[in-house]
Amino acid sequence: MTGWVLIIDDEEMIRENLKAYLEDEGLRVAAFEAVTPALRWLLDGSHCRVCITDLRLPDMDGNTAIRTLHRLCPDMDFLIHTGSSNYSLPEDLRTMGLDNACVYQKPLSDMAPLAAAVRELVLRENRP
Amino acid sequence: MVLTMIASLLWSWMLRQRITHRNQEMQRELSERQQVESALRESEARFRDVTEAASDWIWEMNKNLQFTYLSERFYALTGIAPQYVLGRTRWEIATIESAADRQKWRQHRDTLAKNLPFRDFVYRTGIGNRHNADRYLKISGKPIHDEQGEFFGYRGTGTDITEQIKAEAALRESEIRLRQIIDLVPHMIFAKDRHGRFLLANQATAAAYGLTVQELVNHSQRTVHGIDAEAERMLADDREVIESGASKQIAEECFTDHTGHIRTLQTIKIPFNEPGFSETAVLGVSIDITEQKQAKEEVARMRLYLKNIIDSMPSVLIGVDPWGYITVINQPAEQACGVSWETAQGRFFGELFPQLESQFEQIRQAIHLGHPIKTPRMTLEDQGEMHYADVMVYPLIADSASGAVIRVDDVTARVRIESMMVQTEKMLSVGGLAAGMAHEINNPLGAILQGSQNILRRIDPAMPQNRATAEAIGIDLNRLNRYLEQRRVLHFLEGIREAGARAAKIVADMLSFSRRSESRFVPVNVEDLLETVLRLAASDYDLKKKYDFKHINIQRDFDPRLGVVHCDKTEIEQVILNLLKNAAQAMAADSVPSPTILLRTRYESRWALIEVVDNGPGIDEKTLKRIFEPFFTTKEVGAGTGLGLSVSYFIVTEQHRGRLSVTSQPGKGACFSIRLPLDRGALS
Repeated sequence: MTGWVLIIDDEEMIRENLKAYLEDEGLRVAAFEAVTPALRWLLDGSHCRVCITDLRLPDMDGNTAIRTLHRLCPDMDFLIHTGSSNYSLPEDLRTMGLDNACVYQKPLSDMAPLAAAVRELVLRENRP
Repeated sequence: MVLTMIASLLWSWMLRQRITHRNQEMQRELSERQQVESALRESEARFRDVTEAASDWIWEMNKNLQFTYLSERFYALTGIAPQYVLGRTRWEIATIESAADRQKWRQHRDTLAKNLPFRDFVYRTGIGNRHNADRYLKISGKPIHDEQGEFFGYRGTGTDITEQIKAEAALRESEIRLRQIIDLVPHMIFAKDRHGRFLLANQATAAAYGLTVQELVNHSQRTVHGIDAEAERMLADDREVIESGASKQIAEECFTDHTGHIRTLQTIKIPFNEPGFSETAVLGVSIDITEQKQAKEEVARMRLYLKNIIDSMPSVLIGVDPWGYITVINQPAEQACGVSWETAQGRFFGELFPQLESQFEQIRQAIHLGHPIKTPRMTLEDQGEMHYADVMVYPLIADSASGAVIRVDDVTARVRIESMMVQTEKMLSVGGLAAGMAHEINNPLGAILQGSQNILRRIDPAMPQNRATAEAIGIDLNRLNRYLEQRRVLHFLEGIREAGARAAKIVADMLSFSRRSESRFVPVNVEDLLETVLRLAASDYDLKKKYDFKHINIQRDFDPRLGVVHCDKTEIEQVILNLLKNAAQAMAADSVPSPTILLRTRYESRWALIEVVDNGPGIDEKTLKRIFEPFFTTKEVGAGTGLGLSVSYFIVTEQHRGRLSVTSQPGKGACFSIRLPLDRGALS
């Protein structure tokens, strides 16, 4: 398990808790409070396979963030972790491979399913 | 000479002889004559007595038609001295002015020329008389003939009819005046004989028949009256009056005039004997009361009309005088107090409407100030039920009598609808608020939930990372765990996690207020759905453990006409399950001896009706009003969040465009009705 997991969420405790849980699962996690520092980190040469992102971010909205990150790292998978209940996936994100199963509704009373999904995506990266 | 003397003596003797003889003869003759004359005198005296005593005078004319004699009465009666007349002809003394006069005289003189008798010839004379005015003389005469049958003149009687003529003229004049008067009267004045023939009619009567007075008089009513039935009825009245000899008053009768207008007459008929008319007739006066009657009817109609209007008003209207005594009430008021207008009149309003008695001050003030006084939302109690009424007191300012009208509008329904709308609005704003809040709340909730999960995980002695860190700083994780357990720290952590989960559930429920998607709508068989709910209920933890669901008698009353309805199956299941839970809970709390829940479905033209009926303690009115409000609960604090019914309400009304209502009375159970639209179009 070498791949990085990228977390983008402006809520520090959410960020920290997810990071802690995933790290306990043996994953390497990089967490950022906005898209810009995450982009900088990726442009610095870091390789990342899975990104968990919030939709309401200080510097851009989640959909745009996903599109931007996807352009930069086309092989990165996305999981959405949002507090809004009426979010529906835009069509272009669906064509990128996202579906309703990728949307996780805050608050997560149990992080295990999310962690399982991350692990699965990370393992898939390792397969080829 | 002697001889002459003898002769003369002889002549004288002879003459004397003759004279004697003659004397004797004359004596005899005289005696005879005296006898005749005495007889004549007697007869003449008798004649004079007669003529003097008679009201007429005697006149005589010679064959030249000149007056030769006038008895004394002439002067006495006419005041004309006979010397002005004697020796003159009649036409010489007459005043002849008009053509009619001349015509008359021509005829008269013709008669005289033919020596014919005449009777009652009237003429006028202006010849000097002591009255200094023309006299009217009426004369009759016969020709006289001598023994040889030769025309000798005329003899006749005369009488002065001036006074009679004057009286007649005066009478005629008064008659004309009377005529003018009766023609001036707008009422119909008439006299008819027993056969219905008009003996007299004034202009008003004639006009009613479209005739002149001349055209009407002497004609039978039968021939001039257009409507036979009317004529016969009037003639019957006439006969009744004639036969009974008593007057008759006809308060109202119909009369169709010549233009076809039906008029109403008030008639008085009296028996009437016309001078010179032996038979009794009827004299009548008819007053046209058509307009009066119409006005009266109009007033009556207007009154009825107004009564109908005030009766048609849903408001209770009570008219009172300044002292609060009832003058009028409308039908709703009659129903409200159970007393008719007639009975209510004159009674004190507070006696019949005790709940309004407090309005007496308002009545006084309204009259005093001259403007209406409102009391909105006055609470009234009717058979234990609370009612709301808008009460308004209007002052009435009439000419003489002042007073007021109390208007009471039952606005209970409106108040309820308003509170329902307020509730709906509240719910909508809660929905909007929830959506906005959810995101903000979900983050801290996430921190709480994820944080507690991480804590619990990171103190777990079984986790290698934990053990590694503990070892590095020299702590025994097992002992730490015992410590945390003994100090109930783990329990508190579990509490935090549970509380967070519950808060997350509340937020999720609240979010359902604003969520509306049809994507999960599927055709569902209502009966199948209800059976599923019953299975869910049987396995529900709360129902199984706390409320003993299997001891509740479940009855099914399903309408076979009701088939498939489009709905979000899970949502509706949750709604019905929630209702079942509430019913079970209520019945358990009240220890109902044989708890029963009836599930009933009905096909209504536009709706699928699903009802959940229990025989629990029922719901009081105060609770009913707020039952669908979010966070309103009758359960003990902690037993429920109070979102159940408001969520159900929104699922049904907002997501399904249906209706959720409840009817209940304390002690008589409750009935929750869900109506889901059968028309799918209603959903979009």
